[in-house]
Amino acid sequence: MRARGLVKTFGRGRAAHRVLDGATLDVRAGELVAIVGRSGSGKSTLLHLLGGLDRADAGTIEVAGERVDGRTERDLARLRARRVGFVFQFFHLVPELSGAENVALAARLPDAAPGARGRGLQLLERLGLQDAAGRMPHELSGGEQQRIALARALVNDPAVLLADEPTGNLDLAAARTVLDLLREVAEGGRAVVLVTHEDAATSAASRVLELRDGLLAG
Amino acid sequence: MRAALREAVALVRMGGRRSLLAGAGIALAATMLGTAITVSWSLATGFDRSADAADLPHVIARFDRQRLDDVSARLRALPNVEALSYRTEITRVRIAAGTGSTGRGVIEVLGPGRRGYAIVEGRDVHRGSDGVVLERGVAREWGVHVGDRISFGRFGADRVVGIAVGPDNVAYPLASTARVYVAGSDEGLRRFGVNTALLWTHDPARVDVTLQQARATTFGIANLRFVTREGVQVLLDEAAGIVLALLVAFSVVVLGAAGVMLGVAAHSEVQRRLETLGIQRALGFPRATIVAAHALRGSLVALPAAVLGLAVGALLAAGPTADLLVTLNELPPGAALLGPLALASVLTVALVAAASTWPALRATARQPVALLRGAELPGGVRRARVAISGPLRLGARLAWTRRARYAGTVAVLAVCVAVVALLLALASLLVTLRDDPATLGKRYDTVVALAPSAVPAVERIPGVLAAAPRMEVNGADSYALGEPVRLIAFPGDHTRFEDPPLASGRRLAGPDEAEVGAGLADALGLRVGGTLAAQLPSGGEARFRVVGIVRALETSGRVAYVRPDRLLAAGAPEATQVAVRSAPGADRAAVDRGLRALGAQPVAVGGATSSDASLLATLAALLRVLAGVTALVCLYSLVQGLALIALERRQTIAVLRAGGAATRTIALLLAGIVLAAAVPAAAIGLALQSALLAPLVGRMAAGYAELLPRAGIGQAALIVAGLLVLCAVAAALVAYRTVRAPIVAGLRRA
Repeated sequence: MRARGLVKTFGRGRAAHRVLDGATLDVRAGELVAIVGRSGSGKSTLLHLLGGLDRADAGTIEVAGERVDGRTERDLARLRARRVGFVFQFFHLVPELSGAENVALAARLPDAAPGARGRGLQLLERLGLQDAAGRMPHELSGGEQQRIALARALVNDPAVLLADEPTGNLDLAAARTVLDLLREVAEGGRAVVLVTHEDAATSAASRVLELRDGLLAG
Repeated sequence: MRAALREAVALVRMGGRRSLLAGAGIALAATMLGTAITVSWSLATGFDRSADAADLPHVIARFDRQRLDDVSARLRALPNVEALSYRTEITRVRIAAGTGSTGRGVIEVLGPGRRGYAIVEGRDVHRGSDGVVLERGVAREWGVHVGDRISFGRFGADRVVGIAVGPDNVAYPLASTARVYVAGSDEGLRRFGVNTALLWTHDPARVDVTLQQARATTFGIANLRFVTREGVQVLLDEAAGIVLALLVAFSVVVLGAAGVMLGVAAHSEVQRRLETLGIQRALGFPRATIVAAHALRGSLVALPAAVLGLAVGALLAAGPTADLLVTLNELPPGAALLGPLALASVLTVALVAAASTWPALRATARQPVALLRGAELPGGVRRARVAISGPLRLGARLAWTRRARYAGTVAVLAVCVAVVALLLALASLLVTLRDDPATLGKRYDTVVALAPSAVPAVERIPGVLAAAPRMEVNGADSYALGEPVRLIAFPGDHTRFEDPPLASGRRLAGPDEAEVGAGLADALGLRVGGTLAAQLPSGGEARFRVVGIVRALETSGRVAYVRPDRLLAAGAPEATQVAVRSAPGADRAAVDRGLRALGAQPVAVGGATSSDASLLATLAALLRVLAGVTALVCLYSLVQGLALIALERRQTIAVLRAGGAATRTIALLLAGIVLAAAVPAAAIGLALQSALLAPLVGRMAAGYAELLPRAGIGQAALIVAGLLVLCAVAAALVAYRTVRAPIVAGLRRA
């Protein structure tokens, strides 16, 4: 993953606030990069731009050799389906679907990767979620929910995994498990970018970058 | 209360677009309501309003021309008579004016006194002054205005000084005769004689007594016929009464539907805010304040929306309804309509306030923590039984989990489907009533003006299955002379020619028996075993024992089927027409040629209503307005419900989009949500129409007959297809709006 000179401003006129001001980032396959910074520094915004959830005002982004910036919404959707996986702080599982169905959801999208369904079942087993698979989200612990979310993010075999405060809503033990899994994912050959403000999370990372004044510093 | 009001105003302001959306929904339902009220009120009160405005006499007596003094002396002696005036009716006059002319013109030469018509333009005619008053129907049809010239064949020409509405008949051209009123003098009427008398009574409820006395004292006045106000109304009903009754009944159903929609819309507004209610409760807001604020908020949004919607509905329906009233020679309600519309706006606001209060009351009764946890999902989420295999099914599953809203959406859509189905069925029924004699129970297709002796010759025509002389005598009940009775007589078994379904009793078997229509039985309190005594125009009386009640549609069911013997004995003239029943598959043109060869002009038998094209076009316009409003309400319900679900499900949609779902997938998901409601709603709506609304409207319109405006298979298919199109439009609209919002907005914690 490569990002160059990312600029993002919120608001207009005197209320304008430039959150990113030329941020640059390189993440290689097999690397887990943690991005830290104070609240409101633009960490989540950076993650959204990297994953094509939002558009930068300036700068370029490349994921697995494909440009993210300048694409149509339809192309971006296809890119997200095949190349990018997301994990969120609040899990965002669909409350009406069981754990297994939440994982299978991403596999049923029109642009899902071939073999995604089978991979979903394997992921449930590999992440120790056999018991959780049949239960509804409100019946699961926070750690189980986040592992389900992780399985969902990986079901289409993405090249890049973007995690926004994945342990922010978990107890220590559950957070440890999730961080171990993220490291495993990175070691499996994916580029993982983790936004966090927790020390435990940074210690699991290959590199830690700080976002300050709209710029990333190592 | 002041705190609640402040909170309500704040709610409306904070709601912004949502308040506008809620207002739009209420306005749409109110539009339906306004349309229904305008149609039903205008039509239901049309005759009475016009009769009062025109000072229509309580009794109109028609007779062969008599000396004015002879008639006047006898009528003045009658009890209960308040006023009298006389006319000489000159028929078959060639009249020409503007762009039209007719050989069936009628000049009404008016004597002094009350008129019995209402001037709607220009002025009335007076003795000694020039000019004529023209009937409004003629003026409209021929484009004649006050000041235009009008010619009366051999009677010369004159100037139109006024336009009038005379509600004793439907308007030209629905009525075949064109009427012109001219002022006559006492001397003139004395010289030429009179043939019409108008009677106003002191006590209209006792008009019966006056008529009984009139029967006894008018001996010598030839061919005397009385028509009461009620009789006039029955005559008008013959022209379009069933159609009007159907429209009024339909409007009543629409009123109910609009009520359901208003209730559901208001309920869903409170459902949106359940979490906010939890926060307010947690902060210590009193329950009463919250509930009152919601009631007031509902009222604040509903009041302008209801007024606007009712006004729009009234304006939409006013044109076609006024045209219909003109056709019937009736006057529009004018400012009198404001009363029911104002009452409807009050009821609409009350309904919305109640529908907002109830869920707020229920919600605030729950623990605040339950509301904060997720509003409608207190104990977690039920597992749906359908497996997820794509966005459509996922959408369906999302719809099912919000059970209260799902049920509300299904209810609104089902009502819309039922109303549209009723509408289409009504349109078909109108055509059938117009064209199909079978709706009257008639099994013959042609009548010819031939003497009974010609029947064997008619039966010998190839293609004729059966023929019989048909007698039709318009009399009155001997005990209640204001009640008209149409006696229909065939020699032998009348069911071979007219076969209205038997409601009770049995078919008649002899000359002293009668089957009476349910309408007549209701009006006269007749039952099987009772006696029908009919006063005939000849002055004679015929009595029959009632052996059966039939569901006849003709003349509002005020008919009686008898054998001709007693009618002839009471002085009724012999049958002058022959009913001809063609064999199935017979060449009708060949049958007509055969009948013409006998020297008769065959007349095809029509249905129960007028075949007047303009009346039916007006009705079609009315039905189209109602259908359009209903479809708009349906689309609004779909879009509103879907937008609400999309709003609540913004996180799920955002996760799907983050995972690579494109616009098409989101549209399919939303389509799944609406289809989950639309498919059962279509089934429920069609069942509702067939099992409940059709019989209900049929009974309200014509309880005396079997009338079922039930949607056919083709119409049902059309409705389902239309609903699917609306679902697709709603899904596309909401999907377009949803994907325009940034994904990250949906990922923020609500």
